[in-house]
Amino acid sequence: MKIVKTKPELCNGCGACMTACSKTRYKVEDPQKSAIRVKENSEKPGSYEIIVCNHCGECIPVCNTEAMHRARNGAVRIDDVKCVGCCICVGFCPNNAIFTHPEINEPIKCIACGACTRVCPTGAIYMEEK
Amino acid sequence: MIKVNKEDMEYQEGMTIEDILRKKKYTFRMITVIVNGRVIPKDQHSAYRIMDGDNVDVVHIMSGG
Amino acid sequence: MDLLEMKKAHKLLARMDYELGKVEKGYTNRTLYINLSDNTIKTKPVTEQMKEIFIGGRGFGLWYLWNAITEKTKWSDPENEIIISTGPIGGITQYPGAGKSLVVTLSPTTGSVMDNNTGGYFGPLLKFAGWDALEIQGKAEKDVIIYIDGNSGYVTIEEAPLEAVDSHLAAEQFTAMYADSEEDKRNVAVVSSGRGAENTLIGLLNFSFYDVKRGVPRMKQAARGGTGTVFRDKKIKAIIVKYSGVKGDTNGPADKQKIIDAGLRLHREIYELDKVQNRMREVGTAHLTEIMNDYDLLPVMNFQYGSHQDAVKLSSDVFKEYFTQGLPDGCWYGCSMACAKAVDNFELKTGPYKGQKVCVDAAEYETVAGVGANCAIFDPEYVIEANFYCDTYGMDIISTATSMAFVMECYERGIINKEITGGLEIKFGNKDAALELIHQMGNGYGFGKIVGQGVRRMKKIFAEEYGADPNLLNDIGMEVKGLECSQYVSKESLAQQGGYALANKGPQHDEAWLIFMDMVNKQIPTFEDKAQALFYFPLFRTWFGLNGLCKLPWNDIEPADNGLTDEPAKVPEHVRNYVDIFNGVTGKNITKEDIILQSERVYNFQRIFNLRMGYGTRKYDIPPYRFMGPVTKEEYESRAERYDNQLKELGYDIEGKTVEEKIKMLREYREDQYQKLCDAVYKRRGWTPDGVPTLETVKRLGIHFPDVVELISKHQ
Ligand code: SF4
Ligand code: SF4
Ligand code: SF4
Repeated sequence: MKIVKTKPELCNGCGACMTACSKTRYKVEDPQKSAIRVKENSEKPGSYEIIVCNHCGECIPVCNTEAMHRARNGAVRIDDVKCVGCCICVGFCPNNAIFTHPEINEPIKCIACGACTRVCPTGAIYMEEK
Repeated sequence: MIKVNKEDMEYQEGMTIEDILRKKKYTFRMITVIVNGRVIPKDQHSAYRIMDGDNVDVVHIMSGG
Repeated sequence: MDLLEMKKAHKLLARMDYELGKVEKGYTNRTLYINLSDNTIKTKPVTEQMKEIFIGGRGFGLWYLWNAITEKTKWSDPENEIIISTGPIGGITQYPGAGKSLVVTLSPTTGSVMDNNTGGYFGPLLKFAGWDALEIQGKAEKDVIIYIDGNSGYVTIEEAPLEAVDSHLAAEQFTAMYADSEEDKRNVAVVSSGRGAENTLIGLLNFSFYDVKRGVPRMKQAARGGTGTVFRDKKIKAIIVKYSGVKGDTNGPADKQKIIDAGLRLHREIYELDKVQNRMREVGTAHLTEIMNDYDLLPVMNFQYGSHQDAVKLSSDVFKEYFTQGLPDGCWYGCSMACAKAVDNFELKTGPYKGQKVCVDAAEYETVAGVGANCAIFDPEYVIEANFYCDTYGMDIISTATSMAFVMECYERGIINKEITGGLEIKFGNKDAALELIHQMGNGYGFGKIVGQGVRRMKKIFAEEYGADPNLLNDIGMEVKGLECSQYVSKESLAQQGGYALANKGPQHDEAWLIFMDMVNKQIPTFEDKAQALFYFPLFRTWFGLNGLCKLPWNDIEPADNGLTDEPAKVPEHVRNYVDIFNGVTGKNITKEDIILQSERVYNFQRIFNLRMGYGTRKYDIPPYRFMGPVTKEEYESRAERYDNQLKELGYDIEGKTVEEKIKMLREYREDQYQKLCDAVYKRRGWTPDGVPTLETVKRLGIHFPDVVELISKHQ
């Protein structure tokens, strides 16, 4: 399967990916509802860190409800019907790549749809085999 | 002579915090070791040498059960 | 027998349809009252005063029971109640340990009020079904179930003659019966007991939670003080609640983000640190066995000794091999501490289920230490087997273990013999006899009928019927207030003697566990220090029971820098989390001092409840001497150096003295110390020298209801 990969050195911090993600997933343009996050490096202004799930699957066994699962296409996904919003997966992701928002009951995580990569102007994010 | 948790303990040349823990059978993991009022981080326990007359407190955290 | 047949045999006795509620800021603002004598089902409103003074959970239970009974009520009277309630925080999914159910009733063994704090899904699902508490009064004629459907909005009382009483079967049958599909099973929670609850006074309640990974209902226990015995005496076979749709906001929090933030801080801490701290995720509380053994605190042979060379055979590494690893063993959603370990595919070797393979919720520290070390049986498979049967028979494993250890000592000392035990050679270390005794207790025959009454009644029987020396029995029978002691040796920690014997319901460590602070760290040397610890910690822990919280995520994990804080034993950062989640749920604005104040109200109320039932004064706070020091020669000799030194330091001349003489000196001293401890604690708690809350205290706390004032006025 293809997942989102990053080349942070190319990132210019425009945030188009976050808007695209939240729009695809939640029909709003709100970076706080995005599954990919771009953060300016506090020590090195002008350089950016990109955080996004790499579908390693470590969050699957920690989930009590089997909501977190590997989908048929290989992506690690949350089944919203089963999920109780406990956020264990958020705390147990080694990459801190799952996010929360008070208006959304389930955690926000990447589903490997690629919407963000299609709007990135610099090639800092792109889809590639895992 | 040193003090460990307010009790006397024979001082031995070169003894480390780890030696004290072993001697006292302090096997519990949630402890903080304080030597003369200063906290000694866990990763230094095996190297940190105790001096004669030191006051060592091994504070066990769990309030238990 | 199939489920359809069982269900068809149900006979509807009463039904109430209700409007589905909505949880607002942690409360539904109503409770469900059921009377099984006349099959009443009705709604009661939750008043602001109840929320303000009693908060919820144990507080609600105490208040309802107070109003339901008189000082003459006995546990088996129809007016006795069983009240189950979680609390305002109970049911949030984001913070570890936030799904506890609190159970309150009048106890068969203590004669006074009993409280229990248990996991399982019942309490939260009950609230989401629309009820802050379930209050059951009266007695049914035939076995009944209570069913609450929180999605369709109705409650029924039904005769249910065919389902099993034993819990592992009952939980499975009722879960399957009321779930629409496999996926739906996690939305069903069952409270049940077992045959042992009918045949002993130490019956427990099992609270189920469906484990979707294992595909079986698991169980947590409200175990202490015979709660299950009351349940079966009321002829309740099971209480079932069903609610589907648990989400992150079902508890109606005022400020969800606050809760998420606190939850994430703790999840992260557990993720990073549990593996280097207590390994709760791997072995649960079983890690304590080797620790207690190393610190001479593991009860061995009826609390005579504190360690044993064979204890390694019961260490957590041994149990880890039995526990299925890598499963999210939380007893409510969101508990990343995940201590609820289980042994899968365990083949039973004895009893009515012999040869069957079962999933056993085993084994917690109390079990390992109790039926294992305390009975000197160092065999993990026996421990798992005993654990299974105590649970499914519905018998408190702590009381079973402490009672068995007592019996074993009596046997070895010749107080009882084979004639009395019906041929059982009930010696320390005899695992076949121990299992046989558990089956006798559960099934109500032979010597098990006597043991199942608990230590207090056995002391009486052995003295009155078998001519045993009552003084010795009183010294070695490990109960206070009629409740058997949980599994820690308190002999060398005065503060813990108080932690046990002053506890409202009896000697259970859930009020205070001060042994490390006192005996190891020596942080609380004076009476005032100890009194302060016995003020703060029991109150702080009471608060968990008001809110539906588990104690373990408070201090079985700690932030990396906790040791650097002013008061590491309190785990200040976690206290901050609790303030945040309470405010996040209720929208109130409490401080950490308010936590103590909230508890102080309920704690004092419970103390006064004991008084009302004829107890609750100093003389009921005095433990048997074995809690305080060595009763026998062997015990003294096992720690001779420690005791000799103590006597010398105290200025006793022990030169040429016999062990018996030294035991006497030590005893005089320690018993006097204990009385002084009581003086200091009573003073700190605002009680009279006889241990009764003063009028001033009661007024300060706002619990000066007329009947309370009238009652305590007689004791000022
Ligand atoms: S969310 Fe984290 S743990 Fe889960 S698959 Fe992605 S990177 Fe791995
Ligand atoms: S938040 Fe949902 S997906 Fe994540 S661990 Fe909890 S139930 Fe599973
Ligand atoms: S720590 Fe253990 S007992 Fe407490 S809530 Fe979590 S799983 Fe349940």
